[in-house]
Amino acid sequence: MADKLYKPFLDATRNVFQLMLDITDIEELTPEGPSYDDGVVISIGIIGDLTGEVIYRFPKITSLGIVNIMSGLEMDAVDEFVISAISEIANIISGNVLTMFAEEDVKCDILPPVLCKSDKDRDGYATCCITTPAGDVRLDIILNNAAK
Amino acid sequence: MIWKDKYELGVELIDDQHKELFRRVDAFVLTLRSSASWEEKVKKINETLEFMNSYVVEHFRDEEGYQKKISYPGYEVHKKIHDDMVNYVLKVTEEYEKSGFNEQLMQQFGGKLLSWLINHVAAEDQKIADYAMKREVAESGR
Repeated sequence: MADKLYKPFLDATRNVFQLMLDITDIEELTPEGPSYDDGVVISIGIIGDLTGEVIYRFPKITSLGIVNIMSGLEMDAVDEFVISAISEIANIISGNVLTMFAEEDVKCDILPPVLCKSDKDRDGYATCCITTPAGDVRLDIILNNAAK
Repeated sequence: MIWKDKYELGVELIDDQHKELFRRVDAFVLTLRSSASWEEKVKKINETLEFMNSYVVEHFRDEEGYQKKISYPGYEVHKKIHDDMVNYVLKVTEEYEKSGFNEQLMQQFGGKLLSWLINHVAAEDQKIADYAMKREVAESGR
């Protein structure tokens, strides 16, 4: 189940980075990479035919790099502005995934982004790690079929 | 925040409004992120917020008018995205005024606005341009 969800999230992340940041040089990393807890960690809840959440981990260097590309301004710290900009990107990626799910007749909705301050240990999820010129990103996809 | 030619839809009124939005949001973000104290910045921030509240509504109305004119099939979905953003801007403005012009609220608003606007113009609005182009090709082939 978790592995089937990997590709839509990878494709959506690629699309968003390409359209919004003009970043096309995106490569996958092995999922055993670091958990990137030093930057912005955002949870997006998913409800509907699939339920659960996706944890987006944007390391500090990636978060600042992305906001720099979008604003043209040098950022030196992860603050409210950066967290909000990155949360919206996580929201946009999740929205793109939902559109892909809908094409497969899987109907879901997303909940507003929530900043994760402490991380919990979880089992049975797919991890999608990518590296880009703006830095690395890791997604932990924790989704299951909704109980009927 | 840099305007890119790839964002152009090929509809003069809408493109001009998009460019104006980019200029205004860029000026807003520059002020928001400047090293000046909040007391020094707040007047300009409030003026921009007031402008956004009226200009965004005007732009969305014009863009939706264009979508109707070309019978854009994604009109309802696109209108919902616009309505959600207008409601968000109104909600934040209300909270901001009630809070006595809290800086943290504006920093959060600025970050979201930056990502939202780039995605909306670079991705969502391009779907309108793609449809208009296909429609034009179909009509010229008749």
